[in-house]
Amino acid sequence: MLADALQLLLNGLMAGAVLAVPAIGFTTIYAVMRFPNFAVGGMATVGAYAGWLANTRLGWPAAAALAAAFGAGAAAGLASDRVALRALRPSRGAAGGALAAAIASVALNIVIENAVRFVWGNDPRGYDLPVYRDWRVGGLRAGPQQVENAAFAAAAMAAVFLFLAFTRTGRMMRAVADNPQLAALKGMDAGRVAMLATGLGMGLAGFGGMLTGLDTSIDPLTGTRAMLSVFAAAVVGGLGSVPGAVLGALVVGVGEEMSLLVLPPSYRSAVGFAAILLVLSLRPRGLLGERAF
Amino acid sequence: MFRPTRRAALLGSLATPFLARTGLAQSKEPIRIGTLTPLTGAGGSYGPAMVKAARAVADAINAAGGVNGRRIELQSEDDETNPDAGVRAARKLIDVGKVSAIIGTWASAVTTAVAPLCWESRTMLFTVSGADSITKLPHNGYIIRTQPNTELQSIRAAGYLADGGAKRVFALSAQTPFAVDSYNRLAAVLKERGAEAVGDVVYDATKTSFRSEVDQALRAKPDALFLNGYTPDVTVILRELYRAGFEGRKFTFGYAANAKMLESLPPEVTEGLISFSPSPDPGSPAYAAVKQALGTDTPDTYSCQIHDHVSLVALAVAKAGDASGAAIHDAVRTISQGGGAKVGSALDGLKALAAGQDINYEGASGPCDFTERGDIEGCKFRFEQVRAGKITLLSVS
Repeated sequence: MLADALQLLLNGLMAGAVLAVPAIGFTTIYAVMRFPNFAVGGMATVGAYAGWLANTRLGWPAAAALAAAFGAGAAAGLASDRVALRALRPSRGAAGGALAAAIASVALNIVIENAVRFVWGNDPRGYDLPVYRDWRVGGLRAGPQQVENAAFAAAAMAAVFLFLAFTRTGRMMRAVADNPQLAALKGMDAGRVAMLATGLGMGLAGFGGMLTGLDTSIDPLTGTRAMLSVFAAAVVGGLGSVPGAVLGALVVGVGEEMSLLVLPPSYRSAVGFAAILLVLSLRPRGLLGERAF
Repeated sequence: MFRPTRRAALLGSLATPFLARTGLAQSKEPIRIGTLTPLTGAGGSYGPAMVKAARAVADAINAAGGVNGRRIELQSEDDETNPDAGVRAARKLIDVGKVSAIIGTWASAVTTAVAPLCWESRTMLFTVSGADSITKLPHNGYIIRTQPNTELQSIRAAGYLADGGAKRVFALSAQTPFAVDSYNRLAAVLKERGAEAVGDVVYDATKTSFRSEVDQALRAKPDALFLNGYTPDVTVILRELYRAGFEGRKFTFGYAANAKMLESLPPEVTEGLISFSPSPDPGSPAYAAVKQALGTDTPDTYSCQIHDHVSLVALAVAKAGDASGAAIHDAVRTISQGGGAKVGSALDGLKALAAGQDINYEGASGPCDFTERGDIEGCKFRFEQVRAGKITLLSVS
């Protein structure tokens, strides 16, 4: 029983680490633009496919393909934002508020998912990477690929933290997120910061999409499937808070796995939502509060 | 001078339906059939080929002059392998498209959701879904299925596993209407044959990782696993099983272990995977027609079945002299079974019917003989195994 619980905890931490990457992307976009951008699901799929192309067609190793996934997610995110979402952004004072932009992002997500389906079809695709047997240590099981994914995720998170904490651009993004009016008074270009946040957020979504696919396989629904958990992670941690997204992802990841001790696996999706309900009833602003960038 | 204004465009678009109406009225009313197949979602690998196969039969019949001079009009909708989308699409086909039959519903969840709309509107439903519960619905004869039900499939699967020497079988099932049914049936047959079903996990197929589910299965120390899921989730589970070092038998449905899945996995992961599927009748002329329509030597069973759906509708309409759902409902068993002359294609059948003969249609998917409930009376199964990344035939029985 204890070994089972430890194994589930381990699985949950690994799953949570992978989930944290797109959750950071989602929350970063929310922090700067003040609307939930559900197109991160689509960008995760775009990233997963870009990485897959780089890996299977160009023969790139996983790390380089992940960079391609980030780049493709960022590029597709910026382009689609320019076309579909920019005019609706609440931070630009659009009439519909956050709701209109959020709904447009859901539509955008469906468009992207279908564009991917149109080009590559519905069939699952796998990365051209060897599948290794798991390591077993004292009754616990961990896969080299899983550990590698968790390490990639940790590296991406570290890079984001360093960027936000120590670079001028990162600090500018935090300033706009914190108080857009004050930031504007200081001469910061809100439009540029919004573009940066979109590029960073969607790039992370693409990165996360490929990380999910590395462990499993990818199809046009890869990102959409992860979307609900990403949203749950960001809300649980506190929408708009980057450390919150990481914490939320770990809570959702571990929660979904640990629930297997008492619930049949068919209820796993419900756990994320139960976590949202629970956290929001006790702490309406999420675990870390929305402004803790 | 004509200037395209908004008002003109509006008037023009309002007038369009009347143009279409008067155009159609010049010939006889077509026979309207709706295909409701998964073009997207977990069944998305099958739907497009199914539509192509259905269209090929309709085109062939239309080219030969139609059914008693009436054209077959196919309307295709996507059920997205999702009951909600399926119901919306079925409503559109029934209410707007005025179809008298819906054919090709694939996922059992979709068929179950769509069925009440069909029997209430007296629209015939031809399905390829397997869940036992479907033909147990109060459908008054408005459901016909060409796919063997879960009961028949589970009995054959369990028999095959037990004959092959499996002693402890664990089932990993995606959450579907037939997951529990098929496990119970499997367990009963295994017990009769001196083997044992040691447990099952019903998982949520929308998740991206099934590590913990695989752990749970392996804790029961099975020597064979029955993977009762769809391609995306079975793909992930096979990877997990390889990583976990499972060396026992892996057994799954043919629709999950398709060629696309093998392409996406390294050969060492799929090695030894046994799959089984209801076998079409490779000797039939209808099967040859499906091969030609799809341009492949190995058309999948669903394309064969939907080929038969269109043929059955055409023949039933010809027999009844009426294209309503109720007429198809009354006539379908008079052309699919019984003592009439055996015909292997809709065209031959239409000719025989025109000559006043009784017919018994034998299709691409098999004999197409139906019980009162709407199930097929029997069919062959093919068992295949993956060796070095290729599907090899073990047996057809």
